[in-house]
Amino acid sequence: MTSKRPSTEVDRQIAMVLDLNKCLNCQTCTVSCKKLWNQDEGTDYTYWNNVETLPGTGYPKHWPEIGGRDDKGGVKQGKVPNVDSEYGRAWNFNHDTVYQGKGGKKSLKVWLRPNGKQRPKWGANWDEDHGEGSYPEDNHYFYLPRLCNHCTHPACLDACPRGSIYKRPEDGIVLVDQDRCHGYRFCVEACPYKKVYYDTQRQVAAKCIFCFPRVEEGEAPACARQCPGRLRFVGFVDDKEGPIWKLVHKWKVAIPLHPEYGLSPNVFYVPPMSPPKLDAQGRPTGEPRISPAYLESLFGKDVHRVLAIVEAERAKKKQGKPSELMDLLIAYDWNENFRIPQQGSAEKDPLDDRA
Amino acid sequence: MTVHKLIAAPVALQPGGYVKVAYEGRDKAPTTPSASLDLKPVGKGYRIGLQWECPNPIKATGSNTDIWVDACAVLTPAAAGAQWITMGSETLPVEGALWRADREDLHAILAQGLGSVHRQPAPEGWKASSSWDNGVWSVTFELDAWSALTAHKQIALAVWRGDVQDRGGLKSVSEGWISTEP
Repeated sequence: MTSKRPSTEVDRQIAMVLDLNKCLNCQTCTVSCKKLWNQDEGTDYTYWNNVETLPGTGYPKHWPEIGGRDDKGGVKQGKVPNVDSEYGRAWNFNHDTVYQGKGGKKSLKVWLRPNGKQRPKWGANWDEDHGEGSYPEDNHYFYLPRLCNHCTHPACLDACPRGSIYKRPEDGIVLVDQDRCHGYRFCVEACPYKKVYYDTQRQVAAKCIFCFPRVEEGEAPACARQCPGRLRFVGFVDDKEGPIWKLVHKWKVAIPLHPEYGLSPNVFYVPPMSPPKLDAQGRPTGEPRISPAYLESLFGKDVHRVLAIVEAERAKKKQGKPSELMDLLIAYDWNENFRIPQQGSAEKDPLDDRA
Repeated sequence: MTVHKLIAAPVALQPGGYVKVAYEGRDKAPTTPSASLDLKPVGKGYRIGLQWECPNPIKATGSNTDIWVDACAVLTPAAAGAQWITMGSETLPVEGALWRADREDLHAILAQGLGSVHRQPAPEGWKASSSWDNGVWSVTFELDAWSALTAHKQIALAVWRGDVQDRGGLKSVSEGWISTEP
């Protein structure tokens, strides 16, 4: 019952790398997460994992502007997003009419659509594939899958007056003790990534749990395991044989989103390369479609160095030369994307059981 | 009914790094400047009436993410010397009753410092009734027995206004313990 603050010290840190050059926006990650954890009333508006089109408004709407950290890592007052105008309320659909013919509709042409007289005005992924620019000169967009970053210095943990949020010592996963939570929502306010939600029925905070019951069994989180694009890598940051260490520390091509918040996220991204713009005659100009300044606003100045490495290694591979980095990112053997020892069996090689 | 001045609970005392910085200066003025208290012994227990002005009552949050409900609490030392402003301490706890506008039943609360409030269903003999009329909340606690209050004869008040996002340590509280002795 005492108010002792939870520690952020951990023995090991699990992490994820996402290669944005491979994301298809198929939303399989979103659906696999949602089906597994968030179908209840109260969390129906939440997407612990979402994929947003960038440049775009994001989910919740304009999330980088309403978080609890400034661009120097200082605390500022954040905002709890509104379910209608910023998250987007979950829609109900006319499944009964379309699939069971209820309601007297006999026409074959009854389309699946949200119920209600008013058409929805906002929802997650509302601006899918809008992007920016003009076709064919410089239209562009890319996809950004997002989940809780399980930060080394979580803003949510820092924000909770009750000490209800903690990092698991064994893997650094950030969890909410919902028995202790009183639903104040300072964590929702403070997280600059807006990845802590409010369960409106149970009146407690709720967030991505990095599928810890799966991780404990040596399985990757559902979002990563189900990804058809093989763009997600999961493992421990300090495992020198694993993909995370290789991408983050050896090749240094996986970098966090908004490092300026100063929270040391443990979800990293290989930033997107882009095709060149075209001039008036339709000839490539050599200038990337995705503005380097825009990418810098997302990933920091390091993004330019990273893109140079990825482009150079891709060029090597295209020339038929070996590239460990490209082989890793291509993910020929999908099993090697994940290296998660079953907890309690540290000696066991996690790859042994994989055919 | 006696009118008691309320103060904003000091933000700087709040546990963690966020609230004290994000809400710095919010405690210059209370969101609820005063509350009226009417405390009467009834048998072995008490009938405690609280009233405060609240222009925009929030009685439920529904399925909304950014709405907080109105609430109030009465507190008494569970050990002599316990401080009301810190919600007690590890060795000197405080206890009380919490009413929320979205619940019919009361919570019994016990705390050993800020951020440590433990809520549990109130004893069967603890009830509350409430009404909001013409900009004023009236909440009446009917407590069939409260041995800590009987022993320490001190009570403190806390009021949360949902429409200005009061919750947790963002609250208006009495200036100190209020003696229950005539």
